[in-house]
Amino acid sequence: MTHRVGAIKPGAANLLAIAVAAAIIFPGCGGTKQTRVVRVGYLRNDLHQLAYYVAREKGFFEEQGLDVREGGVFNAGPEEMSAFSAGDLDMGYVGTAPAVTFSAQDMADIKIVAQSNQEGSAIVVRNGLEAEDISALKGRTVAVPGYSTVQDLLLRMALEKAGLKPEDVNIITLKPPEMITALSSSQVDGFVAWEPYPSQAAEQKAGRVLVDSGRTWPHHPCCMLVVDSGFLKKNPDAVRRMVAAHVKATGYIRANRLEAADMAHLFTGQDRPVVNRAMKNIDFTYMPDIKGIRRYVEFLAGNGVIKSEDPGSFTRELVDVEFLPGEGP
Amino acid sequence: MRKWRYISPLAAIGLWQLLCSAGALKGTPSPVQVVQGLYELTVTGLPPGYRLFGHLFASLERFLLGFAIALALAVPIGVLMGWSTIFDNFLDPLVEVVRPVPPLAWLPLAVLWFGIGTLSGSFIIFLGCFFPIVLNTVSGVKSVDANMVEAARTLGARDRTILARVMVPGALPSIITGLRIGVGIGWMTLVAAEMISVQSGYGLGYMIMLARDVARYNLVVAGMVVIGLVGFLMDRIIKAVEKRVLKWR
Repeated sequence: MTHRVGAIKPGAANLLAIAVAAAIIFPGCGGTKQTRVVRVGYLRNDLHQLAYYVAREKGFFEEQGLDVREGGVFNAGPEEMSAFSAGDLDMGYVGTAPAVTFSAQDMADIKIVAQSNQEGSAIVVRNGLEAEDISALKGRTVAVPGYSTVQDLLLRMALEKAGLKPEDVNIITLKPPEMITALSSSQVDGFVAWEPYPSQAAEQKAGRVLVDSGRTWPHHPCCMLVVDSGFLKKNPDAVRRMVAAHVKATGYIRANRLEAADMAHLFTGQDRPVVNRAMKNIDFTYMPDIKGIRRYVEFLAGNGVIKSEDPGSFTRELVDVEFLPGEGP
Repeated sequence: MRKWRYISPLAAIGLWQLLCSAGALKGTPSPVQVVQGLYELTVTGLPPGYRLFGHLFASLERFLLGFAIALALAVPIGVLMGWSTIFDNFLDPLVEVVRPVPPLAWLPLAVLWFGIGTLSGSFIIFLGCFFPIVLNTVSGVKSVDANMVEAARTLGARDRTILARVMVPGALPSIITGLRIGVGIGWMTLVAAEMISVQSGYGLGYMIMLARDVARYNLVVAGMVVIGLVGFLMDRIIKAVEKRVLKWR
């Protein structure tokens, strides 16, 4: 079979014309000019990701000349990471656990470019359980939001500090909204979860906070701002602007606690007393704590969830703080 | 020609492996990785120590409990509805309103009523099984030849005898069809039933969600394969029972 050189079929010509037109209309795709359109994902009602809502409502993204579009609102981090795998998101606010596991499992190619908050979880026990400290959990049933999540590690660290082994406690997995129901009906004796669930349990008198996570593990990592590696390579300028808006929003939350609580109330739909209590337990800060992330990676590598020969270099690869102000890692 | 039946699954697996080897399915585990996953689940388990057979038995226990209760309630209710117009008119609207509600939507209430133990999962499976059995029983009873009922009556049979000797045997083929559909839907709702809350840490659906959370997609598909195979076996068992029970046909 021979090819007639130079002859383009009508169909192919149309395709070519469309491609040329597309290149003119969307210079971001394939052209030299970078895009200002960013598809951002975040978790529904997650208090830790307040900076996103503040930046959006206060116009910090527009200030940076960005066109931020809601790429997706998710119920859980793993779903959001699947959206990164599918190429539907450019950037996203997500928890450390899904970001690290999906990255280590080669299911998503992402970088952590900023932190959204640190701490902000707590160990809660049910009413009627006489517990002065963690050692009272011996022989009890305690729920964690997921196997080998940051909260799972927090519980194990707290147990170890109290001289207990993980086997001394019956650790089960429950989704946070079900935790309070299970706690108030005494089906679990305690749970570890991120805010606002501990505060909600306390406000509803379903239980009380035994220990805030910052006491068990100071500055532990929590929610992160991540970017798709391909997007970062093509559009470093948009990432720089996103991070700048995020840093400004984080500063805004720290400087205007009352207004931030109002906005948190609107963002999550949680009652004001719950929000006020929860906000006290969350440290909104943008600089990732590399040591904390590395500690978590070591935990995952240690229990076989991920295979990592060198957690140190994996963490350095994953975290990219060059867009953040202040000194590097 | 029986060997033809193996061609479609084998071809599907072959195509799947080919697409994965060619790198066409991003992130999707290949059949080889899924087999490795099955091995890992059997030997190590997920979480480590919680092995495949533990997950399987926990799911079967939840399923059988939900199915048994559905069967015990659905057949008598269906026979009554098919037998008596009054009962039919009375119950039909209720059945038809509750039936379209997806079992998943009941989850928050199930946890509230039955807690996070075996019962809440069984309740969801019960909902999946119940309605197909009721509806097929009703239509089975209604389809019994009125002449046969009349004939039995002229021969002096009472209501109870007619019900036990004419109605139920006549409706049996339809009831068994209902069982097959009910078992299929009930087993299908398993993942949903175990998605939110499992106190014991065992269950196939629970394990799948756990594997998803830690991005181990080959374990997700391995769990799907086990659910599929068990569902297939259960259908085969009912078919075999059907053959024996309905020998007279």
